[in-house]
Amino acid sequence: MEQRSVWKKMMDVDRRVIYLIVAVVMIVPIIFPFDLPMKISKRTTEVLFNAIDSFPEQHGVFLISADLNPQDQPELFPMLVAWIRHCFYRDIKVLVMCLYPTSMGLAEQALNQVAMEFNNRAADGIGRRVVYGEDYIFLGYKPPPIVPILGLGENIYDVFPRDFYGNELKSLPMMTKKNIKSYRDMDMIGSLAANTLPITYVAYAQARYGIRVTGGVTAVSVADFYPYLDSEQLTGMLEGMKGAAEYEQLLRQQFPEENGRQLASEGMSSQSSTHIAIILMIVLGNVCYFMNRRYETRGM
Amino acid sequence: MSMILEAFWIWIAALLTLAIFSFLWKDNVFYRTAEHLYIGVANGYSITLIYYNVVLPNMVYPIRGANQALSADGFSWGLLNPFNDHNYFIILPMMVGALYITRFIPSVSWMIRIPIGITMGYYTAIAIPASFKASIVRQLEASILTRSDFDSWSVVFYGLLIFLTTVATLIYFFFSAEHKGALKPISEIGILTVMVGFGASFGLTVMARISLAIGRFIFLFKDWLGVVS
Repeated sequence: MEQRSVWKKMMDVDRRVIYLIVAVVMIVPIIFPFDLPMKISKRTTEVLFNAIDSFPEQHGVFLISADLNPQDQPELFPMLVAWIRHCFYRDIKVLVMCLYPTSMGLAEQALNQVAMEFNNRAADGIGRRVVYGEDYIFLGYKPPPIVPILGLGENIYDVFPRDFYGNELKSLPMMTKKNIKSYRDMDMIGSLAANTLPITYVAYAQARYGIRVTGGVTAVSVADFYPYLDSEQLTGMLEGMKGAAEYEQLLRQQFPEENGRQLASEGMSSQSSTHIAIILMIVLGNVCYFMNRRYETRGM
Repeated sequence: MSMILEAFWIWIAALLTLAIFSFLWKDNVFYRTAEHLYIGVANGYSITLIYYNVVLPNMVYPIRGANQALSADGFSWGLLNPFNDHNYFIILPMMVGALYITRFIPSVSWMIRIPIGITMGYYTAIAIPASFKASIVRQLEASILTRSDFDSWSVVFYGLLIFLTTVATLIYFFFSAEHKGALKPISEIGILTVMVGFGASFGLTVMARISLAIGRFIFLFKDWLGVVS
């Protein structure tokens, strides 16, 4: 009887106790981080990293559709930062655009943050400076999604006559030197979104204009994209915070001077410990359930 | 000055984060304040951006430019050309768009069908061929194993696994015949496959939600409290 009450009590535990356990397990590794070996996903992260790494240096153009919202920031913002860093290291030109209004602040923040990192390092004699209009351009926001996605395949100047800061796009040196007019003059589109926008890019930009598309997506939506990965319609993919941390690791391996804040890697020890805690709680919950049922069926 | 401003906004963000977290204990006034503030700020921000990025360049500037051209040079047919930067043609789609407002006038509310019909027709025409090609034709192509695929045992194994589990799942959801005899074990494999799919989705969902919480905790302990280097 006493045993049954223990299982019953555990079944009826207050949900706030669970929250507290999860919070502790999450916070302790943030304050006292530990390193765990991280295996790079070959068919997602590595494929994407190699694809961007194979863009022609000084001639490559990467269009990033940064459609992340504040609620997606922990997963998608590190991906955006990592992509921009990779492009700047390899002197690949970056175009950033947004299809949702609430993405604008984060996209601009990422560009400014990485540009400042590179320019501070350049001031110390490491690496090169990056200049707005020559190395990167922030195109701003243009709705609704399908219209600019199709329009960029015809003429970028019709969709974005001016950049986010009001400069005439045709007047910016990067556009004139690289003669960027449409998808034909770009190497790949990277779609960062918590919804199915990468598939929209596959359907409208890739199927129609043939440009390669990759995605940076939240973990909850990863399963939707695997069929497109298998069919090679997506050139690699970053899956949630883990994908971003893997990309940061590849960047550190390839570019030893990389010393910027590793936004995703910071959270990985916490991620691992919380996963272990949740697995243990699921097992414990099931044991409690079956033990409780066993005692009830025996009429104890 | 910028440092003080940055610290001020970090404090605001931290207090709002704590207000949202307070819902975990129970619903309270701090949570509801933060929730309403978020919705209000997000809407205000979006409306302002849409006004400056859509309404002004696509509606106001073309008509203003056409007015200036009309007063300077008089009427020309170019002012009705939709491909000119400044034109009056834009008034026509504006009027069609404005028909959405008829939703609030019962006697003419049927007119809302006009802009809805145009929008649906446009998007359907664009979507059908694109989706058919990307999500059906290319997916079918990718599911076909060719002779070169058999060079790798893993491709063959996973190809067969996908094929068999797809068939088993379809049979599980085939309700026109009773699941007995040969259909019984196959449909059981089907339900097992569905359960594995649910488990994978649950795991990914947990991973995503934990990532969001970690992001907030890193902000609180690193950017706000500074207890982590």
